[in-house]
Amino acid sequence: MIYGDLPANWPEPVKQQVAAAAGSGRIAAIRNAMAAVEALPPESRGKPFKLGIVRTFTLEAQLEALKLALAVIPSAASIALGELENIEQVLLDQASPVMAARPDAVLALWRLEDLLPDLVYAPHTLTADARAQAVSGVSERITRLCEDYRREGPAPLFIATLPAPAQRADELSDLHQPHGWHDAVLRINRTILAQAAQPGRIYAFDFADWAAAFGPAAFDQKMDLYARQPIAAAALMSFASAIACSLRPLLVPAAKVLAVDLDNLLWGGVVGEDGIPNLKIGHDYPGNVYRRIQQTLLNLKRRGVLLALLSKNNHQDVVDAFAALPDMLLSLADFAAVRINWRPKHENLREVAQELNLGLDSFVFADDQAFEREQMAFELPAVKVLPLSEDPLQILNALTHCTNFDALRVSAEDLARADDYAAQARRQELASASPERFLESLQLKAAIGRVSEATLPRAVQMLAKTNQFNVTTRRHGEAELRRLCADAANVLLTLALRDKLSDQGIVGLAIGVRGERPQELRVDSFLLSCRALGRGAEQVLWASLVAKATALGYQSLSAEYLQTGKNQQVADLFDRLGMERIASSADHTTYQMRVPGQVTSPAWVHVIDETGR
Amino acid sequence: MNNEQKLFQAVADVFQVDAAVVKESSSPDTIPKWDSLGIVHLVTELEQAFGVEFDILEIADFRNVAIIKSILAEKGVRF
Repeated sequence: MIYGDLPANWPEPVKQQVAAAAGSGRIAAIRNAMAAVEALPPESRGKPFKLGIVRTFTLEAQLEALKLALAVIPSAASIALGELENIEQVLLDQASPVMAARPDAVLALWRLEDLLPDLVYAPHTLTADARAQAVSGVSERITRLCEDYRREGPAPLFIATLPAPAQRADELSDLHQPHGWHDAVLRINRTILAQAAQPGRIYAFDFADWAAAFGPAAFDQKMDLYARQPIAAAALMSFASAIACSLRPLLVPAAKVLAVDLDNLLWGGVVGEDGIPNLKIGHDYPGNVYRRIQQTLLNLKRRGVLLALLSKNNHQDVVDAFAALPDMLLSLADFAAVRINWRPKHENLREVAQELNLGLDSFVFADDQAFEREQMAFELPAVKVLPLSEDPLQILNALTHCTNFDALRVSAEDLARADDYAAQARRQELASASPERFLESLQLKAAIGRVSEATLPRAVQMLAKTNQFNVTTRRHGEAELRRLCADAANVLLTLALRDKLSDQGIVGLAIGVRGERPQELRVDSFLLSCRALGRGAEQVLWASLVAKATALGYQSLSAEYLQTGKNQQVADLFDRLGMERIASSADHTTYQMRVPGQVTSPAWVHVIDETGR
Repeated sequence: MNNEQKLFQAVADVFQVDAAVVKESSSPDTIPKWDSLGIVHLVTELEQAFGVEFDILEIADFRNVAIIKSILAEKGVRF
């Protein structure tokens, strides 16, 4: 746990105490640090987060470390620990203490030693067939558990992959016999990964990878034998951090933009001083390090992360260098925004944030110059500034292992996003050329669909991530959405947008639920991705919602606007859509309208109704 | 802090009592949180505090502070 990764708004003494306690790994120190964290005001602690744990080994004495690792994300974490063993009984019984605590996520931790002790400790008492059968039994057990959990389980479930056993019998000969423990670990882990690869709430926690990376000192044989507490004290904080890392995407939204410097980061040397022929980029050291850095950026871009280039240079020098250097992986077109000038970088970054319609807390900034990093951190504290040095290898590794962009799953929309933003830049050029005919020229098509199993993950993702064009900011999870979908009186619509430049996928969501008054549909949520703004998509989505409400026999619609710090732009949305204000306070406005009412759908959008599918 | 104070402090930290109430005679009878789980805590804390390792038989003998002190003394910790 590095001091620089602790929440920036925590007081210095608390940060120092936490870093020292985590470094020492001493339980008493960790407990005291946790007490100091718990004494912080609620607004510094992050959202409440309940973790349920089912497990086959003792963790009771080590929970404080896990709480601390979760607390620094930040989150106000609490843990409900299930009794030893009894994994299925705890997970599938909503009345078990772990599930009754209504956890936000559940973690299943187990080892081959606990699941198949004979295979690990007495392999020769079993025939090859019996070993194979035992492993199949465990695989089937895991598959059945996952299938049952998918139906019943209310919260995301993280299943630990099995580490290689810490005490190994016949390490060498086991490799060369059928169905030994090597084979068992591989087969069971393959089962776990196959379950985690399916869409839905089941994910993997890579316990095996953590144990392999930490090495033999990860486990403490004595405490395993004495108290069945295998995680070694010296490895505990690392173990806790690995778990926290896997859960992190549930707690904090992923960053969306990587803003990078150019000289001595994307190539070696300074273009304005060294000249283009002397820049280092290519297949030999050190040019190959910069090429790897560029590859890392491209990988992020393909996963949906936007790239922004902030460089203090003469614009033409940079354009010439990108054109002339043969071994570059990145081109200027890969960047969703480019600022090459001599202004302070924070001014450029703020402008890019406005242009991309994203908050400053969506940005990660990478620069090899300490001055630039310090200035950015000082001027724009919401921006995550990566702790870099001038060593290109350190920069490469910091970018590769940066967790700020981590997501549990990458959706088709994520994959399309980066190219979409590049198209957005072209759209803006078109718009400034002839604003009145621009929208028509885009040939916009909006497909309206019902929220289905296929689109549920995207709907949940939108609810979780959309801050600005979002009237109520209700963060419903999968289970809640499924419940809403099950009632035919509710209306849950998605809007997918495409135009001649790109296919944006699902960028709008409207949820109407049966209201308190008879024949009234209440608008629970209404949101658009910021990539879809300014094209009339909200009117299309609204018209579809009103049409569905009419078809279901509703006679009125009610709606509300709940103000957050971020959704000012929709403060008058329902006024613009033609609803009548009923009551209004500083942060809460309610609306009503009769249906079928007056709605207009923009002429330039071709609407495709796919709700019948 | 001398080694005896260090030992008493570790016992106090682990079992969440005031260091002033810890004595050589302190045991599960006088300290409520001194249970089997507490011993797991205590072993880890003492191993880290004194840079020693206990074997399984020694841990099984953790019946009061005086015994723990004598086991530590056998490992070269001076009191």
